[in-house]
Order: sequence, then C-alpha cells, then structure tokens
Amino acid sequence: MNLFRSEEHIARWLGGRDPGATISVVKLSELARAWWDDRLSPAWVPHTREQNMAILYRLGLTGDFWELA
Amino acid sequence: MHVDEADLGLRRRTYAFFVEHGRAPLAAELGDPDEVLAGWRRLHAEHAVVLNPATDELRMLNPFSVVPTAYRVQAGGRWWYGNCAWDAFGICAALQTDGRVETSCPDCGEPLAVAVRDGRPEDESLLFHCLVPAGHWWDDIVFS
Repeated sequence: MNLFRSEEHIARWLGGRDPGATISVVKLSELARAWWDDRLSPAWVPHTREQNMAILYRLGLTGDFWELA
Repeated sequence: MHVDEADLGLRRRTYAFFVEHGRAPLAAELGDPDEVLAGWRRLHAEHAVVLNPATDELRMLNPFSVVPTAYRVQAGGRWWYGNCAWDAFGICAALQTDGRVETSCPDCGEPLAVAVRDGRPEDESLLFHCLVPAGHWWDDIVFS
C-alpha cells in the first residue's frame, strides 16, 4: 500500500506482477478519514465487516478487489 | 475468541499510552504482565492490535506502527510511523489534526512529501497503489 508519483512508476515497480488497485491520493485521504477517524475514541469498538464494506462502497471502491474477507 | 469490555479497556489504555509517550508500552507498564499479554492476544485475534508473533510485543496499533517504517508522519507536534500510505493518512485522521506525510517512491526512491490540511492532501497528483486484494489483507498484514 504505497504512494507513487505516477502510473509509470507503478508499472515499473510492479515489474510484470499483476497490478492491484490504484486510486488518487485524494480518494485515499477520504478512505483514511472514514476508516480511522474513530480509532482513538473512548467509545471505539471493532468495526464489523459490514461497516467497513459500507465505507468502501460509499467511496466507490467496489468489485472483487475491494471485497473484504 | 472475542474481546470483552475489559479487553477494550486494555486497548484504550494501550493506545493512550502510545499517543502520550510516542512509544508502545511494555506489558508490565499496563498491569499484570500475564493478564495484559493475554488481553493483547485476544485483541490481536480480533485485529484490534497487531503483535509480533515471535515476541508478543506490539507491532502495530493501527494506523500507527510501533516500529520504524517508510511512512513518517508529522502530526500533533510529534513524528509517527504509519504501517503504509493508507495508515499514514489515517494517523492525521485518528489524531484529528493536520499533518505531513513523508516517504519515498518505491520505484525510484525519489522523496515524496504531502501536507494534509483539513483531511485533504495539498498535493493531489500522487497515486496510491494497493497490491493485495482486500480479502487477503489479513493473511499477512505486515506485507499488505
């Protein structure tokens, strides 16, 4: 789960491996806020799979790649 | 194995210690070491903390990394380490503050730095690549 300057750098880093998923850093920051912003709350309890899937779905991160275990 | 209210209390104390001191606590710093370790193991099983399986020491308090990584984050007046790019932004989110993420391109080694203001990156041109499908993230969370 890394940051890159461009698609060209990602392709070179993959070196022939199958790519995963690429999103913009703006989308990543939205995902990070939705996923982690409650992590230090005294009321925090583990997210359910359904809660986490709802976050991904809301951000348009859908399809087999984003299907949680 | 499920966590109960006592385990969640242990988790809260573990995270609070980490944020206050900038380092992970030893088990003995939070109570009876055997009881704390048993609680951490239950929390690990529920992905609420991550232990080093070889030592039972804390490895991740997601989004924070307990050990140095390639993702450094300046936030809340201190430097932190994120487990990955996602977690690096997550540190600003968890602390609910602005910050700065620093790393290097895994391809060419060029330094990359991005400020985070009000939850948004100032440099919007960077890309995030996730190699492992979500269904396999916890097969090996350190690799993911």
